[in-house]
Parts: sequence; structure tokens; C-alpha cells
Amino acid sequence: MRPDSLGPEPPDILPRSPHKTYGLMALVRGTSPLVDATPEDAVSTWPHLLLRGLICALVCLSALLAAAMLFDAPLHDPASAAETPDPAKAPWYLLGLQELVHYSAFIGGVLAPGLSLAGLVMLPYLDRSHARRPRDRRTGICLFTLFLLANLVLILIGAWFRGPGWSWTTPWSANTPGGRP
Amino acid sequence: MPSAEPGWIQRLARGRVWRSIFRGEPPGTARGNAQAVFQNLWLHFLPVKVRPHTLRFTYTFYLGGIAFLLFLVLAATGVALMFYYVPSVERAYHSIKDLQFVVSFGPLLRNLHRWSAHAMVVVVVLHMARVYYTASYKAPREFNWVVGVMLLLLTLGFSFTGMLLPWDQAGFWAATVGTGIVGCLPVVGKEVRLLLLGGDSVGQNALLRFYVLHCMALPLAMASLTATHFWRIRKDGGLSLPPSQESMASEERVP
Repeated sequence: MRPDSLGPEPPDILPRSPHKTYGLMALVRGTSPLVDATPEDAVSTWPHLLLRGLICALVCLSALLAAAMLFDAPLHDPASAAETPDPAKAPWYLLGLQELVHYSAFIGGVLAPGLSLAGLVMLPYLDRSHARRPRDRRTGICLFTLFLLANLVLILIGAWFRGPGWSWTTPWSANTPGGRP
Repeated sequence: MPSAEPGWIQRLARGRVWRSIFRGEPPGTARGNAQAVFQNLWLHFLPVKVRPHTLRFTYTFYLGGIAFLLFLVLAATGVALMFYYVPSVERAYHSIKDLQFVVSFGPLLRNLHRWSAHAMVVVVVLHMARVYYTASYKAPREFNWVVGVMLLLLTLGFSFTGMLLPWDQAGFWAATVGTGIVGCLPVVGKEVRLLLLGGDSVGQNALLRFYVLHCMALPLAMASLTATHFWRIRKDGGLSLPPSQESMASEERVP
């Protein structure tokens, strides 16, 4: 039975044919081809996504401008191969590797970066499970968090706790060089 | 459909000038909003509609978008810096001093470039962490994760090559230590180091090579891979959804 909500019988545009498995059921007014469905679970990209992006960009640009006006980028003495600063530090994101190189050039220079890179590239192909809820991925989340934390700790050690001769120091001790951001 | 735009946008959008630039119906109606996206060269890779969940700040923290914004800021300030910077051992340091003390807005330009660069490394790593924690690297998005890892490497490459350019002690010794680590690589280490430095130590050849990598090779690679990264988001079915919605969405994936 046709429900009453569909209105009067459709005009005879497509007469029912015994050879067809489809036919015109009804003509209804609406904005979406979905019948009896709530409005699609989607919003238009303009303005919903793009305005949010614009606001986010303005906030970030303001923060950057503020930082650029408040803090000057460091410029050290002119480069000189004759004067080796002690310690000579790599840029901050490589300090973790430099810390490992201090223990073993092979571990810090080859093994750790090689395994990290290979692991990151192959991650989606190694982790074949379809589990997406955090409670089903405890091991993975723990391992990845450990990976991030290990990097962070090594970088912080290299940045703040290594002084002349790569010896232990503290950020507040007198022999710690100015360091770099 | 009720319009979401304030009145002044609509008045502007009905004007002759606006309509000579933007074809199609002005935004405000469903069709106008759709045309605003798919008739725009720079936006046409975006879907016309997105799921509300993907707009939630606490799901993505907009980190990918912020990384892209930082790349644009770096490109713009970088081009401006190139007008003043000379990649020669004799003049590099002095061109930075000029930027600091002679060039109008020079310090602002250099500071913006430097802080955006540091921020980009941090934001790209955070973006990677977000993608991991939301399990967004899983099928069908495996390859886009790989593209993302390459973009992370490029970001580090930018930062590393850029650090040498001021030709100060920090950059010089960072490059010396950094290429020293590269030299530790098995088999190819020494050759790659020679290729990067154009010699045994950090000198004029290295400065020029780092400059060309920083201002030409890496930007081209970055732009190509970023385009691939964005395009793949769409082709892989848009941003990932929470587990409860994802299975539904996978059936409706846009080819």
C-alpha cells in the first residue's frame, strides 16, 4: 500500500511494465534525492570548512607575527672552521640522534634513524588490523607514545643537559653554552 | 536553504566585479556554495560537502592545515629573503647583518621565517602523532601516510639546509655535525656526504648546494608531494571518521 504521505497517485509517465523491475513510484517535493531520510550528514565546504580554515589561519598568523616581533632569531659569530664551539650541537630536532651518536656512531647514525624511518614508512603495512578504537590498539598506542617520548627526552637531554665535551650539565649551570632554540 | 553568509558578502557577491571573477551562482544557496568550491581552481580538489565531524577542532587540531599555512608563510618570506641574501662565503653573513640592521622590516622577515620553520617541524610531528592516534593511517589511507613521512623528511631537509645559510657558527657546526652523521651511513654514507658538501668540509660548495636545495629542489619536491597528499585525502574517502561512522562512510567513498 502507498502511504498517504506520498500524495496522489503519480501521473502515468512510466506505466508499470511486467518486463521492468522498476517504475515511477511517486513525485515528491524536496531538496535531496534521499527519500524518508534526515538531511544528509554533511555540511557544505563553503562556508563551514573554509571559514574555519580562514579563522585558524588568522589566529596562527597573529601568533607568528607576535613571536616575530617579540623574539629575534639568533645570529651567532661568523662561521669559522678554526674555532670549534664546544659542544658543537646539531639542530635541535637532530639532538636525539647526536645524543645516541655520543654512545655509538653506529646506533645513532645508522641503526636508530634507519629503523625509525623504515618503521614509519612500513607502519600501515605492518599494522594490518582494522581496529580503530583506542581500547583495541593499546599496544600500538603505547609503542608509538614511547617512540615519541624517547625522541623528546633525548632531544631535551641534548639541548639542555649536555655541556663542553658532551659532559653532563644542567641548564642553570654556568658552563652551559647559550644553546639554541 | 537559509544563507550562512552575512549580508555584505551577499551584496558583494551580486556585484559586477565579483561576478566577472567568480563564475556561477553567488554563495548562499546550496548550489552557490557548491560552485564556490568546485569552480575555483585552488579549491576544486576539496569535496563540496564535508562531514561535520571532520570539522571538530579536537579531532584534527587543524594540524595538517597549519603545517600547510606555515609552508606558505615560509615560501613567501623565503622569496623575500632571497632578494637580499647572497650565497657566498664572503657575503652570506653580511647579508644577514644587513637584514638585521639595514633592510626595512628585515628583522621581522627573518624572524617570521625562522620561527615558522621551527614551528613547522613541531606541527608536522604533531600532525603525524594525531594521524597515528586516530588510526587514520589504516586502509585505505596507507599510502598517504607514506607520503606524509616523505613530507616530514622534506621538512627536516628544509630546516637542515636553511640553518647553514646565515653562515654563522651555529649553522656551520650544525652542518658539520649533521653531514658527519650522514657520513656514518653504511655503504653510501661517504658518497652522500661528498654529494651534499661538494668537498671534504663545509665550504663555498656546500653553501651553494644547501642554498640550491633549500630554495629550489626542496620547494619543488614539497609542492608536488603536498599536492599528492591533499589529493589522496579526497581519493581515500576524505578525512577519517570516528570508528562508529567509518564503516558507513567507506561504502560511500567517492572514486
